[in-house]
Amino acid sequence: MQYVADLNAAKTTGAAIEIDRVSHVYAGPEGGVPALSNVSMKVGAGRFIVIVGPSGCGKTSLLMMMAGLRDHTEGRIDVHGAPMPKPDPERVGVIFQEASLFPWLTTFDNIEFPLSLRGMSKDERRRKSQPMLQLVGLTGFGERYPHELSGGMKQRVSIARGLVQDPPVLLMDEPFAALDEQTRMTMGHELLRIWETTNKTVVFITHSLTEAVYLADEVYVMSPRPGRMIDHIMVDLPRPRTYEMMATDTFGRMRDRIWQQIRKSH
Amino acid sequence: MRRPDPKIVRWGILIALLVAWEVVPLTGLLPELFLPRLSKTLNVLWIDLDKYWNALLVTLYEVVLAMVIACGFGILAGTTIGGIAVLRDLLLPVFSSLYAIPIVILYPIFTAWFGIGSESKIMFAGIYGFFPVMLSTAAGIRTIDPQFLLAARSMGATVFQQITKVIIPASLPTVFGGLRIGGALAIIGVVVAEMLTASAGIGYLVTLNRTILDSPRVFAGILCILVLSVAYDIIARRLERRMVVWQSAGRRQQQTSPRPVSQGAPAPAAA
Repeated sequence: MQYVADLNAAKTTGAAIEIDRVSHVYAGPEGGVPALSNVSMKVGAGRFIVIVGPSGCGKTSLLMMMAGLRDHTEGRIDVHGAPMPKPDPERVGVIFQEASLFPWLTTFDNIEFPLSLRGMSKDERRRKSQPMLQLVGLTGFGERYPHELSGGMKQRVSIARGLVQDPPVLLMDEPFAALDEQTRMTMGHELLRIWETTNKTVVFITHSLTEAVYLADEVYVMSPRPGRMIDHIMVDLPRPRTYEMMATDTFGRMRDRIWQQIRKSH
Repeated sequence: MRRPDPKIVRWGILIALLVAWEVVPLTGLLPELFLPRLSKTLNVLWIDLDKYWNALLVTLYEVVLAMVIACGFGILAGTTIGGIAVLRDLLLPVFSSLYAIPIVILYPIFTAWFGIGSESKIMFAGIYGFFPVMLSTAAGIRTIDPQFLLAARSMGATVFQQITKVIIPASLPTVFGGLRIGGALAIIGVVVAEMLTASAGIGYLVTLNRTILDSPRVFAGILCILVLSVAYDIIARRLERRMVVWQSAGRRQQQTSPRPVSQGAPAPAAA
């Protein structure tokens, strides 16, 4: 594995993801449409990063670029010291907005899907998926099909699938957007618990300012299209986070600052 | 009021129809030339069992080959046209329009090309069944959620794996719907063709006996085709249910809330 050395390099420099002056222009019928403009960020290993911004600001595009699912026109994106010309599930796990679980597979088979792509034997796959199922709190649901699970449970399976190959980086594109408020709160809390036990670097996209402050070590705020980074907020609330923190002044001030930035940028 | 068991109702209707078939001609409400009694029909079927059995085998042989043609070419063409955007835009409207043409008017041409033997029936019924299979395969491929493919790619799926592990299973339910209709049309196609121009098969027997006003033997032929179609439908449904477990399960789960399969598992809170 070529990037194993890079993995260690990342640990010493502390940067899991480095985005350096990335711009992107979509080819449109009347010339290029600028989507991202000069975006830079440096994500420390093991950090929980949240990106917020108005709809269509290109934050999902940026995430897809980090995942190797989309190209960019200018700049450099390195994940653990190497660019991502194509998806690499051993470096990056992606969790999508809709659960995107395959309805024809059981929970076990969904979680094991990335392993089956590499031709791993069934026994070995099960040995890896079982602890993941337990980690996300779904022991006993392994033989269920996605339609037999609630929205929150589906996202738990999705998280387990993202973690099963133990990638150091987890990219999450509005994973809880389709859930109701209460489930969303529970899932946020659950995600923090999982993150704390696994030491992953997480980049998380959301529209919810409360969710952003509650989850993040750092919040990046993006402007409307073409997306630029207009603010970078360090959330210095202690861990583990509790629901009570949401009622504090510090929490409110940070939430307010993000909101003002988004409002100003329109 | 409690709703009666649908199974009982269905059997009830069937039995009532069979009884009516026996009783109505008996009372003289309908002359036996129009509707011969069930017992009389079964009787001639028994007497001519050899003849009907051989005819049924011919029909069955034609139906099976027609289905193979319809499904094979239908899936092949549907995948190609549904999967390639340019072809889809160019050809799909053409095929949809062709589907509306009563292809039976082409049957005389088929007999001219392939003779009055089994070949013309197989070709005609095969093309008859081809359209629904092709159209639903194209639809099944076209309507796959792009999110599935994106997720598969993010997990490192190759193009081949995307086809075998995502596109095929995702389009199965729609394709199966088309296969069932295509198979039913293949049966219709064969029987219609046999009734028009043929020298063997159940359809041929029905036409032959109709021209000599032998009603019980006409109805015996009809009965054979009824049994054949119903048997086909039952087999097709069974197969579909087994192949697309997740879909039929989807309809069942509406009433049941998610519960862990094994005992003593911690139920996840709220989510």
